[in-house]
Amino acid sequence: MIPRFWNKVFLIYRKDLKDEIQTFGQLIGTLVFGVMLVFIFSYALQLVNLEVSRVFPAALWVSVYFSASLILQRAFSKEAEEGTLDALLLASGDRGILFLAKFFCSLSILLIFEIVVVPLMWAFMGVSGQNLQLGYFAMSLFLGSWGLAAIGTLLNGMTVQLPGSRLLFPLLLFPLLIPLLMGAILTSQGALLGEVQSVMGWFYLLLMFDLTFTVVPLLLFDYVLEG
Amino acid sequence: MVKADALVVRGLHKQIGGRTILKGVSFEATTGDLVMITGPNGAGKTTLLRILACLLPKSAGEVLWNGTPYGLEHGAIGYISHKPMLYESLSVYDNLQFFGRMYGASSKEFEQELLTLVGLWRYRYEPAAVLSRGMKQRLAIARMLISRPRMILYDEPFTSLDQEGQDLLKGLLEKERLKTIQLIVTHEPRLLSGLEYKELRLQGGRIEQGESYDT
Repeated sequence: MIPRFWNKVFLIYRKDLKDEIQTFGQLIGTLVFGVMLVFIFSYALQLVNLEVSRVFPAALWVSVYFSASLILQRAFSKEAEEGTLDALLLASGDRGILFLAKFFCSLSILLIFEIVVVPLMWAFMGVSGQNLQLGYFAMSLFLGSWGLAAIGTLLNGMTVQLPGSRLLFPLLLFPLLIPLLMGAILTSQGALLGEVQSVMGWFYLLLMFDLTFTVVPLLLFDYVLEG
Repeated sequence: MVKADALVVRGLHKQIGGRTILKGVSFEATTGDLVMITGPNGAGKTTLLRILACLLPKSAGEVLWNGTPYGLEHGAIGYISHKPMLYESLSVYDNLQFFGRMYGASSKEFEQELLTLVGLWRYRYEPAAVLSRGMKQRLAIARMLISRPRMILYDEPFTSLDQEGQDLLKGLLEKERLKTIQLIVTHEPRLLSGLEYKELRLQGGRIEQGESYDT
């Protein structure tokens, strides 16, 4: 039973990731959008006299948030547009499978996006990184992205069958993400400045937030996708 | 000998918003039955099929499979609508293989057999996006059959099919009769001529006529 569950999660995940790579344009479009945000931030911050290391995490997460709102919207919208959601529901047999597969796919794309954008942003903004605690910095990126992917997948599933879902999604996403974004910015800043001990509580909060928004939707997704 | 299954629908109600779509629909079907559901637009035909397929929750009533309620975990419901429900970026073969693996019923021989049956074997490497509407519907038939369903729900399946496709589907309705319960929503009963079927006529969410046999 359990191997079958995970096998189905993997099959949908692989299909979605393959589709994202094949429809290269959308992924590239999101990356270009993210890079443009990097340019805008680095240009704007050169005009004001601010300590880059303190501003960098906020600029980074604003870029990630805007790009993520494009990435996360695709999880279920594409299935709904192609009319494949019903076939997929029948074949999966458990809506939790769909949630996990879409969540893992969104998380993977977000992480690919960050692998490209974070070093670019780092270089353009001239961050010194003298006191950087790399492991914690990577953990803050991962936990923040996990939460973004989990909430985005849940919300996309909730709104995909509603009229005006493309407008509703970003409107509902932001208020839900406020605690997550606060935690992600503060933990990234702590790791960048070598002050991890002072933000340890935020790391735990991020972890709890991520676990909650992964486990609860997994259990309740039957109701979320009911038309 | 194929085990006979029984579908029992009792007092099925469905409300969407403030509107009652189904008002106490009851009927029974067993393996071998071909049930044609007819009725004017808005009578609740598609809603009934979607509830039976577990794609829509019911508001009240009972839907039983061999005496017990069922959900998506049923795993043996085939569903075809007027939309082909295919991945446009995947090839014909990859579409079939993906759903076959999801149902755990995939084998190369079976996939080849199904694509040959629906006349798409030579198009197997083409992306679904380039297929005509009728060819997509044929692929949808193969996708539905790969789950080896014990209940098949057809919602306007003849849409977009040419004469050859319609003959293929009619042949399938007869062939699958031995193994499945089949319910078909159609506005074109003439396309079922020559087949033995029960008719359920829905009108305003109620069964107006039912359980009659026609050929």
